[in-house]
Amino acid sequence: MRLATLAWRGLFARPLRTALAVIGIALGVAVVTATIVTSAAADAALRSATADLLGTADVRLRAFAETGFTPRTVQALRGFPDVDAVAPVSERRLVAYTAPGEAEGVFSLLVLGIDPDADAAIREPRLVDGVPLSPDSPTDALVAASWALRNGLDLGDEIRLNGRREGLPPLRIIGLMGDTGFAALERGEVLVVSRATLDESFDVPAPIRYLDLDLGEGDVSEALDRVTASLDEAFIVETPADAAARLASAQASFGNVAFLFGLVAMVSGAFLAGNTLAMTVGERTRELGLLRAAGTTSRQVRGIVLRQAAALGVAGAVVGILVGILLATWMIGFLSSTRAALVVGLPLPPMGLLLAFVLGVGVTLASAVVPAMRAARLSPLDALRHSTRTGLGLVDRLRWLVVAELVIVALAIVLLPVERTETPFLPIVLSLGILLGGAVATAFVLEPLGRIIGRPFEWIFGAQGLLGRANLSRDRARTGLTVGGMMIALAAVVALGTVAESARAGTERWVDSILPGGHAIRSSVPLDVESFRPTFDATPGVLVASPVYEVPAVRVTDEGQEEVAVAGIDPNVFQDSGALIVREAERADAYADLRTGGSVLVPAALATREGIDVGNVIALGLPGAEPTEFIVAGIVEYTIPARTPDGALLVGAADARDRFGVTTSSLWIMVRQPDVPSSVFATAVGDTAAQLSAQPLTARDLAGDLARSLDRLVGLFDVLALISVVIGALGIVNTLGIGVSERVREIAILRAHGMTVGQVQAMVVAEAAMMGAIGGVLAIVTGLAVAFTLVTGGASADLDAGLRLPWGLLAAVVLVGTGVSALAGLYPARVAARLSIVRHLTHFE
Amino acid sequence: MPVILEAHDLVKRYPLGEGQVEALNGISLAVERGEFVAIMGSSGSGKSTMLQLLGGLDLPTSGEVVIDGVRISTLDDERRTLTRRDKTGFVFQFFNLIPLLTVAENVALPFLIAGDPATRHRSRIDELLTMVGLADKANHRPDQLSAGEQQRVALARALATSPAILLADEPTGNLDYTTGTEILDLLWDSADRLEQTIVLVTHAAHAAAYADRVLVVRDGRILDEIALGRRRDHDARELIARLATLGL
Repeated sequence: MRLATLAWRGLFARPLRTALAVIGIALGVAVVTATIVTSAAADAALRSATADLLGTADVRLRAFAETGFTPRTVQALRGFPDVDAVAPVSERRLVAYTAPGEAEGVFSLLVLGIDPDADAAIREPRLVDGVPLSPDSPTDALVAASWALRNGLDLGDEIRLNGRREGLPPLRIIGLMGDTGFAALERGEVLVVSRATLDESFDVPAPIRYLDLDLGEGDVSEALDRVTASLDEAFIVETPADAAARLASAQASFGNVAFLFGLVAMVSGAFLAGNTLAMTVGERTRELGLLRAAGTTSRQVRGIVLRQAAALGVAGAVVGILVGILLATWMIGFLSSTRAALVVGLPLPPMGLLLAFVLGVGVTLASAVVPAMRAARLSPLDALRHSTRTGLGLVDRLRWLVVAELVIVALAIVLLPVERTETPFLPIVLSLGILLGGAVATAFVLEPLGRIIGRPFEWIFGAQGLLGRANLSRDRARTGLTVGGMMIALAAVVALGTVAESARAGTERWVDSILPGGHAIRSSVPLDVESFRPTFDATPGVLVASPVYEVPAVRVTDEGQEEVAVAGIDPNVFQDSGALIVREAERADAYADLRTGGSVLVPAALATREGIDVGNVIALGLPGAEPTEFIVAGIVEYTIPARTPDGALLVGAADARDRFGVTTSSLWIMVRQPDVPSSVFATAVGDTAAQLSAQPLTARDLAGDLARSLDRLVGLFDVLALISVVIGALGIVNTLGIGVSERVREIAILRAHGMTVGQVQAMVVAEAAMMGAIGGVLAIVTGLAVAFTLVTGGASADLDAGLRLPWGLLAAVVLVGTGVSALAGLYPARVAARLSIVRHLTHFE
Repeated sequence: MPVILEAHDLVKRYPLGEGQVEALNGISLAVERGEFVAIMGSSGSGKSTMLQLLGGLDLPTSGEVVIDGVRISTLDDERRTLTRRDKTGFVFQFFNLIPLLTVAENVALPFLIAGDPATRHRSRIDELLTMVGLADKANHRPDQLSAGEQQRVALARALATSPAILLADEPTGNLDYTTGTEILDLLWDSADRLEQTIVLVTHAAHAAAYADRVLVVRDGRILDEIALGRRRDHDARELIARLATLGL
């Protein structure tokens, strides 16, 4: 037999504890693996989406004007020698219906019109079922397969477009698109028909928004220069890289949060592994003392402990990778079906899996360093005495664990292959630091906090509660780390929930501030204001119908021109309804300046990024035209959404008409008369919208769409957080198990004095519940600190400055922590209850 | 005085490998209220097994134990536990105090286990601590006490509920002679002054000499019964001489 055999026998001697440690490590590795695989699926989807969206096109020209490219431009490009193929794409946002009846569905869809033959020369349709569009069949339509599945639609089903000319047959679904390509847009809420079909359906042809150009085998940039020089319309050039970046930014939040949860799970697993190994060494002190007395060197003893750690790490990592792949399968399925993020396939990146394996083993080994060193430093005499204390103080025992955790986290941040194009590292690193610091601090606040939080348990459980609370202080480092591990997981839940709640609050504030009166109509094509004003004014119950003059413009700076969106608003309507949150200026003054003219309200995002202040002058104009100077009258927290990420710069309606020459509007603000019920007005607005083949908008609809999208992502990450909670619970099982084994004589005394089996169980469960309650309370403090760091650090594009507390969630976290921990205490309680009184009361050793 | 503890034909066998070992082989006894009885024997004689059965900590293979009229050996674990809670107090060789409770809380443990707030029994706790000479250390923790002091706390705890019977298993085995004598004096005092019924298990003659009656156990049977009577001097010479005739 070799000395190393002791390492393996030590593990098998305590099969349950070994299994718990392996499971804890496995769960941590599983979350990391699932994060890596899902992110790889997201990356693969983005690459596919970009490739499928642009196909063989070298560039995409995007029309600057709302009216789009003219058919003349399309024809000219088709004859251009540098252009091998051109695929125009027209676009309308329309309301669509399924077949009338009880199951009728109503959807707001992005309807794209393509030339089937020309489009086929640029890109593959990527259908999962059905056939591509035929130029000869005017009723053909393609929809996203995932959208169809969500809404119970299939091949052959009819789709009707709101406002379509009378007498035209309904459209029929003939093909189901995969999640890439056109279906990557608008979370799959896309309908593709032929351009001819789209143009013939309405009085006004749909604007040609994009021209995808294949510039052949020659020098693309030279060819592009020649092409663009020949065009007299304003446009924006997008490369495949630009398209990829736009798609990627839409799911940057997912990547960031997935990354954070991977690290949280790993930290939780590390706590469990470290604590388990420390407890194992403590238990085996006498055995190790005998080995040392018999001549085993410190190095050999250290080797025994590290071998055990390596075995646990390898077993946990292998199991974790397998479980992680299963978890990733579920996550990808969830994301795909809900379109919370774009994912495709189940890629198993070898380097990523290897990294997860190495992290699992590395975490376990790192956590074993302190216990191994302690074991190696054991004096044979001390170890052979009854006491198992090693003389290490609380600070010493925690310090090394902190160092090990920091090293693990630093390595993980550098090495984890998660999409990090927009990851704000500092907030995430700070967040992890807060979590780690909170977990370590738990050991120090355990006793005072236990005295407070333990009181209700004493009232409820009586002596059992008192004894359970007293036991919390038995080994502060061990209990503190155990509670800390649970706290980290619960804090992640608090942070996630608080960030989500704050995002919802931001959404509500945004919607309330940009939609005066709460109702609007969005038409799919710009409508001449003077011609259509009577139609809007005739809406029953309307107090005022105010057009928003939207114009794509450029901001002229010293560096050149930058695309911006400008919206002309009626200052009276917005001011009277209390819309817009104005910063850095008096609200009344800002509106007065808009009325006067020559002033602009700048969105906060743009102002912060460009360093624009109230009183600054910015130059705005149409491309190719002389710019006009506007004075910044205020910074607005939120603004009307536009094609540009920052949203629209707001000018007075008069300025939009006079200085930009805009006479059309596709967004009409509808303000209700005070005495008209909201529901009645909503119906009237809907009727007007239907009349104009337009889409009615309400504040609640806008907020609801965004909230649902957020809820889907939050739901997914809650599952990952709960896995970390399970890891924390395993730690409690482990710690209480050790505690019971150390207290067998004490428990026998209690039984001898008349404590029933049920009371013994209640004592252990109460101790477990208290650990969870303390973890929950500390999780609130720590989680809120993390949320504040993430929100103010802008860790996600969806976030808004400002914190709204999810009070219900905070209470639930304490209850969940208490409940899960109490459940975790059931097994150790059962063990304690089944102890033989007589066996543990014998007076000889 | 009425009989408060009876045992009838107690037999206790333990499995050992493929066979069995007989720890007790048909023991019967009766203890009157207020009596101080010692059970003596060498290591392996079965005396501790006997104490465990008499206190309801374990069940006999056959036979019967009756404490204060309750046939404890026929009860299930739950009811046996509750009977033990109501009618017995224990002092063990290793003091077995709860390390995280104070001295006062340790003494109050039987009340706490019974769901009775310790505050309701403040005076009783104070009285017991005074009796054992630790009134000034009520708020100390066990690790702040000497070995003798810890055993005194254990004794106070055992007396807290004025149990029908107090069972002590080698209470001086972990103490030096002087400290052990202090404990034995307290035991005797509680029997004499408070009429506490005590059954003491010991291998030491000087400890057994405190008892009114000594039962000598060997090989699982009662070898002899030596009546010493209630004596203030606790002289062990008579007992030692008697034990010598028994070859002990």
